[in-house]
Amino acid sequence: MIREYRRGLDAIGRPYEIVCVLDGEYPEALAALNRVTREGCDVTIVSLARPFGEAACLGVGAVHARGEVILTLPSYPQVPGAALPRLIAALDAADMIVARRAPRVDGLLRRAQTAVFNGLVGVTLGRRFHDLGCGVRVMRREVAGELDLYGDQHRFLPLIAHSRGFRVKEIALPQHPDDRDRPSLPPGIWMRRLLDIISIVFLLKFTMKPLRFFGLLGTGSALAGGLLGLVLVVQRLLFEMPLAERPALLLAVLLIVLGVQLVAIGLIGEVIIFTRGRRTSPYRVTEVIGR
Amino acid sequence: MDGRIDLSVVVPVLNEEDNVEPLYQAVADALQGTPWSFELLFVDDGSTDATVDRLRAIVARDGRVRVVRLSRNFGQTAATAAGFHHARGAVLVTMDGDLQNDPADIPTLMRLIGEGYDVVTGWRRNRQDHLWSRKVPSRVANRLLAWVTGVWIRDTGCGLKAYRAGVIRGLPLYSDMHRFLPALVSVTGARIAQVAVNHRARRFGQSKYGLSRTFKVAADMLALKAILLTGRGSSALFHAPALAAGILSGLLLTAGFFDGDAEPAFMLLASGLLAAATAAFLATLGVLTQLVQASGDFRIGEFLSETERTVDHEQRTLLGRLADGPGPRHGTGTGDRGVDPRVPARP
Repeated sequence: MIREYRRGLDAIGRPYEIVCVLDGEYPEALAALNRVTREGCDVTIVSLARPFGEAACLGVGAVHARGEVILTLPSYPQVPGAALPRLIAALDAADMIVARRAPRVDGLLRRAQTAVFNGLVGVTLGRRFHDLGCGVRVMRREVAGELDLYGDQHRFLPLIAHSRGFRVKEIALPQHPDDRDRPSLPPGIWMRRLLDIISIVFLLKFTMKPLRFFGLLGTGSALAGGLLGLVLVVQRLLFEMPLAERPALLLAVLLIVLGVQLVAIGLIGEVIIFTRGRRTSPYRVTEVIGR
Repeated sequence: MDGRIDLSVVVPVLNEEDNVEPLYQAVADALQGTPWSFELLFVDDGSTDATVDRLRAIVARDGRVRVVRLSRNFGQTAATAAGFHHARGAVLVTMDGDLQNDPADIPTLMRLIGEGYDVVTGWRRNRQDHLWSRKVPSRVANRLLAWVTGVWIRDTGCGLKAYRAGVIRGLPLYSDMHRFLPALVSVTGARIAQVAVNHRARRFGQSKYGLSRTFKVAADMLALKAILLTGRGSSALFHAPALAAGILSGLLLTAGFFDGDAEPAFMLLASGLLAAATAAFLATLGVLTQLVQASGDFRIGEFLSETERTVDHEQRTLLGRLADGPGPRHGTGTGDRGVDPRVPARP
């Protein structure tokens, strides 16, 4: 695989290095990489003590990388190495280029999964990417330096970069034939993806305004509880239905309590953001014109 | 342009291609002949029309103009923050980019700063906007804000404001905070003056606001209240509701205890216990808030002393320049109009 990538990278004619991050200890992979190194290629191998996940690997890789431009590649071929020069050339007019595998050569189910996941992300976050699952991305060094990733967030890298004000573009690259035979994801993963989307929506849209998020949920809950309580009281007064022995009353009280707690958590979030507000810059300047 | 600049006019613009040129002319005219050196700082908030090209042309002609370009649309608060961070003046004046503010009012604001105020905010006389979608909500919002902050700002939405740079530099500016800036600043002990300014109907382009912001503004105001309370070192934010929940719980439990009937008693006791749990939860959050505040970088007390130090210095330079003689523009007899005596010097 590395040989194929190298052929593509050699074609650009600029110096490059390869950083391989092993997520945990894999003696066989290590041995294979050492063989590649002996072929006279500039490879840095970073081996993590235990598996930390792909996002952490990307972060570590970026720390060890010395290049001006950082290209990330997944551990299995997604696009042919010959397409890489095109990807890197596109970086001239942007800070980050993400590849989109098109046309897809794999099965209907996988394609449907990709479409649903990306569609959902596009709808909730307002920026449509077509193939977030594609790990082939190229970015300027400053972009990598500014994004701190954890968990499963690597998938949302383009969106995070976009929200920080970097110019992110998507280009279509052909899909690697070997990518076709990968198994499609089990349904259990879908649930995790869904949770990922929720957390990324919060991260990107409400981090600076937690009360807008928690406040909405809290007011909704408290309102529902209040309405339910009102209905019960009206029923008690007008229709002489007993109030006390109905569990619905307890539900109403619980909803109100939940609402209060959610709003309170939103408020504490606001205080946290404000007292640390000077640490993050809310904007990105591309250019200052004039002296 | 070296040395100190007296005045930075900060104008966030978003797709205002027809407005930037007249705006530049108006600001240059308004400040022509005044004793202050100035720079005009446009912040382009990701315009997609010809705004940037027109701005480039202006910069090429006049060295007092600078443009900060943001990489995409970040919103007015972020654009204002970018402007403040790049501005070099001792006084920062913000203006809307849509020509609805009149730059001829700037000397009035400057004179009030020279008189010792830290913040001067305009309020729009004869506001030229739609009554129901703009004016009425704005009036309600101002009343609410006064109630929340305890500082009565007549027209928070007016874009024309002047700040002493030292007062504003340390404040975190994010999300939609720019709307509350005068109120926020006032809490740090800054002296605020309010002055009537001209307001003109929009000539070109589209307004970027509507009525759909009600929930956001309400949430932001509540957040502001939380920030102000904790910033002042008060624990009332959570402890007052906790106390209320505690009292409620006491009442419910007592009522349940003395109620002979088994069924209602169960409900009363259950609700009472829930209220007690809420009280405990809120009280805990109150403690947590103190921790957050104590470990954060922003304390109003510290900020205040810093403000006073910088103010002293700038005060002298500005008053010095004023003594050199007022310019022709601001002797037009409009200086004292509408300065609101009701605004407390120190809240």
